Amino acid sequence: MAENSGTDPTVDSNVVENAASDGTMIVVTVKTPKDKEEIAISEDSSVAQFKEEISKRFNAKQDQLVLIFAGKILKDGDTLNQHGIKDGLTVHLVIKTAPKATVGGTSQSSASSSGTPQANSSVNPSAAPNDSTTPGTGPTPTSTQPPNLLSGFGDLSSLSGMGMGSANFMEMQQQMQRQLMSNPEMLSQIMDNPLVQNMMSNPDLMRQMIVTNPQMQQLMERNPEISHMLNNPELMRQTMELARNPAMMQEMMRNQDRALSNLESIPGGYNALRRMYTDIQEPMFSAAREQFGNNPFSALGGNLDSGVQPSRTENREPLPNPWGPPGTTPSEIRGTGASTTTTTSAGGTAPSASNPLGINASGLGNGVFGSPGMQSLMQQISENPQLMQNMLSAPYMRSMMQSLAQNPDLASQVCTTSALSAQQQLMQQMLQMFAGGGGGSSTVTPEVRFQQQLDQLSAMGFINREANLQALIATGGDINAAIERLLGSQPS
Amino acid sequence: MLAHVDSKASHSCVKLVGCPLGGGPLLIITGNCVKVPRNFRLLEELEEGQKGVGDGTVSWGLEDDEDMTLTRWRGMIIGPPRTIYENRMYSLKVECGPRYPEAPPFVRFVTKINLNGVHNSNGVVDTRAVSALAKWQNSYSIRVVLQELRRLMMCKENMKLPQPPEGQIYTN
Repeated sequence: MAENSGTDPTVDSNVVENAASDGTMIVVTVKTPKDKEEIAISEDSSVAQFKEEISKRFNAKQDQLVLIFAGKILKDGDTLNQHGIKDGLTVHLVIKTAPKATVGGTSQSSASSSGTPQANSSVNPSAAPNDSTTPGTGPTPTSTQPPNLLSGFGDLSSLSGMGMGSANFMEMQQQMQRQLMSNPEMLSQIMDNPLVQNMMSNPDLMRQMIVTNPQMQQLMERNPEISHMLNNPELMRQTMELARNPAMMQEMMRNQDRALSNLESIPGGYNALRRMYTDIQEPMFSAAREQFGNNPFSALGGNLDSGVQPSRTENREPLPNPWGPPGTTPSEIRGTGASTTTTTSAGGTAPSASNPLGINASGLGNGVFGSPGMQSLMQQISENPQLMQNMLSAPYMRSMMQSLAQNPDLASQVCTTSALSAQQQLMQQMLQMFAGGGGGSSTVTPEVRFQQQLDQLSAMGFINREANLQALIATGGDINAAIERLLGSQPS
Repeated sequence: MLAHVDSKASHSCVKLVGCPLGGGPLLIITGNCVKVPRNFRLLEELEEGQKGVGDGTVSWGLEDDEDMTLTRWRGMIIGPPRTIYENRMYSLKVECGPRYPEAPPFVRFVTKINLNGVHNSNGVVDTRAVSALAKWQNSYSIRVVLQELRRLMMCKENMKLPQPPEGQIYTN
């Protein structure tokens, strides 16, 4: 229904203006990438009114419309006059269709190959941050799309394409840590990663991530000081600042070490330190040692200002020894019970004062984080907090929890200090589960997951649906790789 | 392209060479010899921008309508579908210097984008990365540059680059 009945398709640039009662009518062409419509509207109407007309004509909601004229976006409060929109000119229209869905869809398939390490990384340190307030997400989060989600995360087979060449989580992590050690530039790179920055600037998110880690929970039960620390937002913020800023971290390290050495001289202080170390630091070390993405932990330990609670700040290397190789400074007497953790068993950096978990965060950037698939994945995650939540409430997560529950041995192993082997077991279990396509409770078949890709393939002329499906499963939803597979197997 | 140049030349040639010389054949002046005055060109581009010449995926216009020097322009690129830029609108600033169109314009993104050839810190487009800018010809226009940038977004190496959250702009 057109209020301005004067519109006829034959209008050209020089249209006779109909003098209407509320101003001259002009005919403006509204162009989308696919469509073109001519809309008559009063010359001095506002952009909002214009949008109203457009929404009727294009059958779209007003707030989905974005109008562009002469390189500028027209805001609702502006008038057509303001932008110089006159008769016969063209305005560009973009209809936003739940933007994140499509973006998620396209980049899901590209992220499928990196899905698993991501799943690994976020499964390891924590469970889902339940109401993660991921900062920096301007647009509205999408409605959840389970099939895409699972296709992105549930398929392990493309793990080897991740750029690490390793099909084994542990190996991959080790590689990562090796890379960490070898490339000190990585820290700045990873810190530049907007995702990381966003994550780190959100104390709630960090806190939840840490808190939901079962090992941390156990630790927290045993040592209320830790929960104290985590609950102190000021402290968290400071911690994250530290993690972000390696120079600051070094400063803090030195301060800590000096504070500790002062402590030592207090009667009874030494014992307190030792107790604290063995109670807190050791389990944390071993529990979190191999885990990816535990940057918050590494700074966490070194962040306490007061000398009273230097829980994780045992310094086996009082000050970083500029002359000696890392990890060779003699372990202090305090470190009696845990000299094992001094040695870099899995290729991590020697745990030191403010780096209790032995993770040289500086390396984190390139290896896994830096791969574009991974980054796009993380990007999605940061943009869509729902995604993270869904991912972790996904069937395979549940089945992992179930298996953990069913196997109390495994669960207890995970939480004990000899967590290294437990970690491996856990990894392998997860590996199996993922390979199994999400465990028994998965209700989404590969066919459904790859529906979109299958359609695209059939549109391209690959009519053998079965082969398409196989190829898609093999490549984890990556259409291009699937096409190559198909072309390689059937030269037609 | 050559035809394009010629048509432009003849457009202004009409004004300069009104009648054939000496009764002989009309002197044909190629685009190389006739330089279209800068403002003519820019006014033409302004008009094209307002009329929506092209496929509707890029838009451009003067930043300030009162700008008599026609130097500062604004551009908009609609992210191509089936890429990570889909559904986003990228705003750009284009500056046509005094030697335009002999010299290429300066282009920089206002909306944050992760694209090869665009500086991460300030959105400035690297002239060497965009072939339209690197091998600039005076028949090129702002539209050509914008469309080329959009084509770059569709390249395999760019179409899946992770992007900053929507709505962020470069502050410097």
